[in-house]
Amino acid sequence: MVPVQFFSSINIQIPRKSIFKRLGYRKGVTQIIPDEMRELDESVEYAASLVRLKGAGKRFKVDVEGMSRIHFETGSVFESRDLAKFLSDCGEILLIGATGGSEITKAIQECSESDSMTRSVVLDAVASEMVDASLDWLCNYFNRELTRESKRLSRRRFSAGYGDFSLLDQHSIYDLLELKRIGIDINESAILIPEKSVTAVVRIENSEEE
Amino acid sequence: MGKGKSRIERLLKRRIVILDGATGTELQKRGMPSGVCPELWCLDNNQVIEKINSDYQRAGADVVYSATFGANRIKLGQYGISDVRGTNRELALAARRAVGKQALVAGDMGPTGRFVEPFGDLAFEEAVEIFREQAEGLAEGGVDLFVIETMIDIQEARAALIAVKEVSDTFTMVTMTYENDGRTLNGTDPVTALITLQSLGADAVGCNCSTGPEEMIKLIDDMKPYSTVPLVAKPNAGIPKLVGNETVFTMKPLEFSFFGKEFASKGVNMIGGCCGTAPEHIEKLKEAIANEKPRPPARRSLSAVSSARKTLLFERDKPLLIIGERINPTGKKALQSELLEGKMALLREMAREQEKRGADLLDVNVGVPGIDEKKVMAEAINVLAESTNLPLVIDSAHVETMEGALRLYPGRALLNSISGEKEKIQRLLPLAAKYGAMFILLPLTDRGVPDTAAERADVVREVFEEAQKNGYTKDDFITDGLVMTVSSNPEAPRETLKTVEWCSRRFKCRTVLGLSNVSFGMPERRWLNAAFLAMAAERGLTAAIANPEAEELMNFKYASDVLNGRDKDSSLYLDRFAAFTPGVKKSGDEAATSHADFIFRAVLGGNREGIEPIIGEALKSGESAAKLIDDIMIPAITEVGNLFDRREYFLPQLIASAEAMKRGIACLRPFLKDTKVATKKGLILMATVKGDIHDIGKNIVSLMLSNQGFEVVDLGKDVSAEAIVEAAQNLGPDIVGLSALMTTTMVNMKEIVERVERENLRCKFMVGGAVVSESFANSIGAHYARDGVDAVRVANRLL
Repeated sequence: MVPVQFFSSINIQIPRKSIFKRLGYRKGVTQIIPDEMRELDESVEYAASLVRLKGAGKRFKVDVEGMSRIHFETGSVFESRDLAKFLSDCGEILLIGATGGSEITKAIQECSESDSMTRSVVLDAVASEMVDASLDWLCNYFNRELTRESKRLSRRRFSAGYGDFSLLDQHSIYDLLELKRIGIDINESAILIPEKSVTAVVRIENSEEE
Repeated sequence: MGKGKSRIERLLKRRIVILDGATGTELQKRGMPSGVCPELWCLDNNQVIEKINSDYQRAGADVVYSATFGANRIKLGQYGISDVRGTNRELALAARRAVGKQALVAGDMGPTGRFVEPFGDLAFEEAVEIFREQAEGLAEGGVDLFVIETMIDIQEARAALIAVKEVSDTFTMVTMTYENDGRTLNGTDPVTALITLQSLGADAVGCNCSTGPEEMIKLIDDMKPYSTVPLVAKPNAGIPKLVGNETVFTMKPLEFSFFGKEFASKGVNMIGGCCGTAPEHIEKLKEAIANEKPRPPARRSLSAVSSARKTLLFERDKPLLIIGERINPTGKKALQSELLEGKMALLREMAREQEKRGADLLDVNVGVPGIDEKKVMAEAINVLAESTNLPLVIDSAHVETMEGALRLYPGRALLNSISGEKEKIQRLLPLAAKYGAMFILLPLTDRGVPDTAAERADVVREVFEEAQKNGYTKDDFITDGLVMTVSSNPEAPRETLKTVEWCSRRFKCRTVLGLSNVSFGMPERRWLNAAFLAMAAERGLTAAIANPEAEELMNFKYASDVLNGRDKDSSLYLDRFAAFTPGVKKSGDEAATSHADFIFRAVLGGNREGIEPIIGEALKSGESAAKLIDDIMIPAITEVGNLFDRREYFLPQLIASAEAMKRGIACLRPFLKDTKVATKKGLILMATVKGDIHDIGKNIVSLMLSNQGFEVVDLGKDVSAEAIVEAAQNLGPDIVGLSALMTTTMVNMKEIVERVERENLRCKFMVGGAVVSESFANSIGAHYARDGVDAVRVANRLL
């Protein structure tokens, strides 16, 4: 079986558009003066310099039983009607996980505690969007391999904590992806640490499916 | 030189060389099932692959690729195949059987599927070994040339190229795969890849797969001006589309071939097809470009260095370049001890700061007595490759350190330095040439440092003569003018300047100075350094090794670039000084006509630095603190809330205003003791619930509420129900505000509400967070607040 693939340095362009969107910017409505833009740009660059994107991914054969049970070839079982619906007629999935590292989390906290809330908010948005963009990067990476097998990934992703897919199942995902190896921990509430860490399930589809 | 190499080089001079089309999609078309190992299937069905090879040859391909794209140890291992050499040999022989001497056979090497250090967990030397094993098998199979293709990681491409070059001097092509944004998935642009690979010894460089011909033409166009080697293009047959049950590349052979002429006009030298192309595409392509003359590489040499993701050209009459000098432990105790302990945090910080301050390259020296310099230099390169895009200058006195660094560095490095000393000429120069590095030429010899510019010029000529024997040109090195201290020899700076002038204007090579030596032992060194830089710049200095954090020096650099005509339209100078905003005023303040007006605008504009002094002035002039808050600041922050609601403000502006307000109130608080103003609306206890560490939303809400006159006690994040109940008992808040971001922690809110109610505490609840909804809030007997502005409204309503 192909082992978990780890990516110790994911390189992406700073996703400015989605960062601004996350911060509530609306084109043609929100007004930003040059001084504010300079401050914002500086904070975005600073945040990006602190984000260390790492990722992991692995393909798994799965079997969807009935309306809500998803069996993994490894023996893990998830119970979720929403996830089962997402994976209907799908025999294989890609599990992915990514983190922005602890340096950015520390900087967000420090800014927050030192009366630099504005900077803290921008740093937080940059980290969130960069980690999200790293999941896109992982999907692009695996898609290249899948194309040669006439397969591809679904555009949608599904994460534990959404719908009835219990966040507690993140414990299993954590183990399946060996996320410890890219510096991620998990607490009792199934929250990944560092804070800017995410996982997702993606469908692997035969080309003819969509 | 091998026969294959001379044959292909002769072909390249005569015409555009035709490469074959896709193998993978052709194999699928001809019966290879999904999910099998393609190499193994080809061995078992060799008639199919041989037919594909011969079809391409008959269609006009001068070069066919062996079916060994994934025939490396890692990929084959996933199918339980261990005979890597044998697999490669047999598939190379199959291709030879198919085309005989009618076409050249290229030994095809694709990616391993793993990223190579410093970008991944595959050790660099392990990667080299993996590709060496494959290259040896292909060489045994008698391939005429090698092709390293579909690479997304420049370091993996380098590892493969080094491996091939260490196996054979056969002609080797390297093609990378670029995304729609014009970079590889790992962030390398085509010019950077070209510079790195052609200097490392690739005989042809280009791109394949991922895009159709239309998009790939631009990549060739971008690369051509910097090419010293032939350029290669192997586009897909357009973008794949779904037709019926199959993924189909819909671009037909004739349409595909239409792009041939444009490829030729942009300077492609070798062209074929990738996914979706078939022998018919190659046949039509050949016909389309039959009369096109090949454009040779644009230049013989190129003065440029690169990192994994950036190129830096040493161009004449362009702004003076700054090589950041700070990563050098000499005289820096903190850096020395970090390096000795194997820590890299300070080094990373120095890189980041120098890049921010305008350095163009970073000098890296880790020489500390007692250190394993070779190992630490390798670690430093790995860390810097991740943390900065700037190209590096490898600085060491030891040949072994230099060799290790040159091998590992994922770009074209600048070596500091090679002198006329015997060891440097005999050992370091050939190594630098092997890895294609540029170098700083130090005009000194075993006899010492020449005093005069004329003597230094002699050494420059001698070293250049030796460098030429290793394939170097005047574009490939930068001469150090040798800066000596003015305090010990007043003539020294003039001799250095004469050396710079001779190099720039007579010998026509580039120059560099280690600036700060000139002022050693003198007071106020920054002025001497800055003046010396300006004088050298006028004499044509290309680069200075200096501290970019020295503001005076950098200002002189920008000024001298303007005065020496090296900053077109003074644009860089104007950019630099446009950012200098004297004082603390923000746009719009100019219109303020009174203290009150200024304070209102300061809150509205989030002017955190400006609000405190103006409040001080307002108080001095007799304004009432209470009135400033009630009549000026509260209306201002309310207006900010309205602007935020209308989306005219977004979150950073809202928070900046809230912070300005907070600072203003902090200034006024000492003057509010005996007045009754709206600063005590009620007490609110805030907490992010147990298990949850996401608290930025709660912090924003706390800030907004305290600005509106609520007293806020923030218990922090990951707070247990017991701690919240206890605080509620002790403080008697009017409202308890709870936040949670995740579904698993949201449920803790219910428990807290129930426990507080069981204790008969009279307080209300306000909840919020990404997963919290109004209906959930209602279900647990709490009030929902959407965001910080809404929380103020809810709290005002509740009290």
